Amino acid sequence: MESRRKRSRSQLLKWGCYVLALFVCAALQTTPGLFQLGQAKPLLVLPLCLAVAVFEGEFAGALLGTVGGLLWDYAAGRTVGMLALELLLLCFGVSVLVQLYLQVNFGNFAAVSTTTALVVLSLDWLFFYYMPGYAGAALRYIAFVLPSAVLTIPAALLAFWLVQRIHDGFGIDNGVV
Amino acid sequence: MKDFFDTWKFKILVAVAVFLVGIMAYAGANGRLTAAPQELLGVILTPFQKAAAVVSGGVGAVWEKYTSIDEVMEQNEQLEAENAELRQQMVDYDRIKAENDAYKALANIQKKNSNATYVSGFVIGRDPLDEFGGFTLDKGTADGVAVNDAVISDRGYLLGMVVEADPTSCKVMTILHPSFNAAGVVSRTRENGILNGNTTYAADGLCTLTNLERSTETRAGDQVITTGLGGVFPPDLLVGTVQDVVPEASGKSSIAVVRPGVDPRTAKHVFIITAY
Repeated sequence: MESRRKRSRSQLLKWGCYVLALFVCAALQTTPGLFQLGQAKPLLVLPLCLAVAVFEGEFAGALLGTVGGLLWDYAAGRTVGMLALELLLLCFGVSVLVQLYLQVNFGNFAAVSTTTALVVLSLDWLFFYYMPGYAGAALRYIAFVLPSAVLTIPAALLAFWLVQRIHDGFGIDNGVV
Repeated sequence: MKDFFDTWKFKILVAVAVFLVGIMAYAGANGRLTAAPQELLGVILTPFQKAAAVVSGGVGAVWEKYTSIDEVMEQNEQLEAENAELRQQMVDYDRIKAENDAYKALANIQKKNSNATYVSGFVIGRDPLDEFGGFTLDKGTADGVAVNDAVISDRGYLLGMVVEADPTSCKVMTILHPSFNAAGVVSRTRENGILNGNTTYAADGLCTLTNLERSTETRAGDQVITTGLGGVFPPDLLVGTVQDVVPEASGKSSIAVVRPGVDPRTAKHVFIITAY
């Protein structure tokens, strides 16, 4: 059984790792040309926040999703709060989904991440490309939205593995065998 | 789970959601893209982006080669002949060299407009959601950068304008963006028009000069420069070369399709004109 002090330090370190991972993901996601295939690039912030929501529960996950969303809003130059709100809701929803219906494994997480990536990218496409009436909206959807959602799968698996390692590494030892 | 909706945690999440909706409405009403919490996050993110941009010089190149393996195999034979010392150059050395080249180019630019002041900046971020090549630079208000400053390439070609400036970084809207507007002129014919992005051509890295006369004398190969009208962009900035002239949809005017002198989607180093 761990002392309260040790446990608290362990939790602080764990969340430090999550926040650090979030900044690294945001930086890598916006790095010019990195992992780019045609117009498409994988999303990194979203799967990381989802993975944290899966392992840490709906409340902590939704809050980290909000921070990640604000960071993404800033990096993408989108209206403040928009992606933050989307990530808050998605992280909450995915965490609840996992608690009630889904097993926590790589396959399910990849499927959930791809679906949520598609939702976020489609909403962005709708608000910032289709609704302003820009030409070539359908082409943009095919050339960017769909491939980006698919490219997010490997990133999701990596995020799942990383968060699982952090979660297990800083797990609370309550003495129960 | 049912009990969760009665807890203080759920109430906090609802409060956060309401707060986000509130700042979103505020930002929308005031035409702002960022808020104070984001600017703080931006200041923290900038060093990570700088580091990632430097590393991506190496990693990005490897990834690019991987995705075009045929070309890589052809290039491989040529690369083998290259000096090993060149391949192991330090990242700092590359950066200093790039900056040195850029300042040499700046000296040429300044000969043309000696009154202007320039700030050198590196591209540190390009988010996949920005479909018109918008990017983040490593210079911000602390370096004298302000919203509406013109951004040019290290060869003097117009790339875009600053739309958001934080203390340590700024965001640039490129000339490919449909919301971009600048007064342009065809240098040979002196025909005036409006430079802006067009979604039809943006995917190919092209922009347009609209509002030309229907019977315009402009033709492919003509150079396009800025006029300086409106006070946002300095006059006589190079923009690019006319690639084609097409009639506007209504048939009342013509549009010159312009290939920018430097593709804003691939620019790595730029100058920001902070005063002119």
